[in-house]
Amino acid sequence: MLGEFEYLLITVAAGLGENAYGAAIREEIEATADRRCSMGALYTTIDRLERKGLLETWMGEATPQRGGRAKRMVRVTGRGVSAAKEFYDAVTRVSRGASWAESR
Amino acid sequence: MNGIVWTLTGLVATLLDQDERDAVLGDLLETHESPLRGFLGVLGLVSRRQAALWKSPRPWLAGFAVALPCSYLLMHVSLSVTCTYERLVNHRLYTCWHTGHEGFPLLLCHILLLITWSWSGGYIVGSVSRRTLWLSTTLSVVPAIFCLCMWGPALPSRLCLFIFLLPGIFGAQWGLRNASISFGVALLLAATITVLMISAWSNQALWVHNWALVLPAWYLVATAWRSKRQTGLRSMGHASMS
Repeated sequence: MLGEFEYLLITVAAGLGENAYGAAIREEIEATADRRCSMGALYTTIDRLERKGLLETWMGEATPQRGGRAKRMVRVTGRGVSAAKEFYDAVTRVSRGASWAESR
Repeated sequence: MNGIVWTLTGLVATLLDQDERDAVLGDLLETHESPLRGFLGVLGLVSRRQAALWKSPRPWLAGFAVALPCSYLLMHVSLSVTCTYERLVNHRLYTCWHTGHEGFPLLLCHILLLITWSWSGGYIVGSVSRRTLWLSTTLSVVPAIFCLCMWGPALPSRLCLFIFLLPGIFGAQWGLRNASISFGVALLLAATITVLMISAWSNQALWVHNWALVLPAWYLVATAWRSKRQTGLRSMGHASMS
């Protein structure tokens, strides 16, 4: 099963769709999950998920605001979607009856 | 201050692969990250990448099983060759070092051995652990620096301890470029080294431990043979498919 940060990354990347790349994913995680996301954690997790076949990455376009440097684009694979759904279902099931879940 | 931190960040990022370096430095520019946070982020990523490299046995083997022991032996050969040369050409004797009893033919044999041993050792180190070459390089000069500190003034020359490094660096460059060696060339190299060693050994002009230096050359033969076999199998597969 996925780890918590892996789930966050896959969910954010899936939400960003065609615009999913390093900086955008990092900003989105920091904004929505309200937690710091270090460069090291982000890129090593992307690598790990790619090795597991849950993500695909490729080098994208270079833009002037990036100093002419290319982006590392990310796409969630079908296996990635299944793994994220499995994690979500498990968390939902295990949270049934928990006080913090009932209060919502 | 910011300029210095940004320069440092770029410097640390050189330890990353080209694509990853582009992606990371581009991300920092795009998100207007503070220089210090950016530097720490890149440093963290580099640390994680370096730590991951050491989980594999390859850098340990390259550093501690090849670079360190080979450089220790090769440093002695460099010193011995220098002392023999001094004795034969300048008629200078260094009593505290093993100068050997050999004449010019055996000196030439030792020079050839020194070059081929160092080159093949360097090639192995360069090809086995590209991204941890800094450690293997450091370990290669440790024995020579130790010897220099201990017996510096008694040496024929300070540089003589480092002679083996030159062919070693050439070998490492080949290994780094992943320039493949054909099976024939590898076999010729290993056979030449072995014949030269037998010749030196039969003239009592070879330290027994130096037999270990033949291993990198035969390792090259084994890897060249394996890659030749794989290429043969692949072409057979293509032929049967078509």
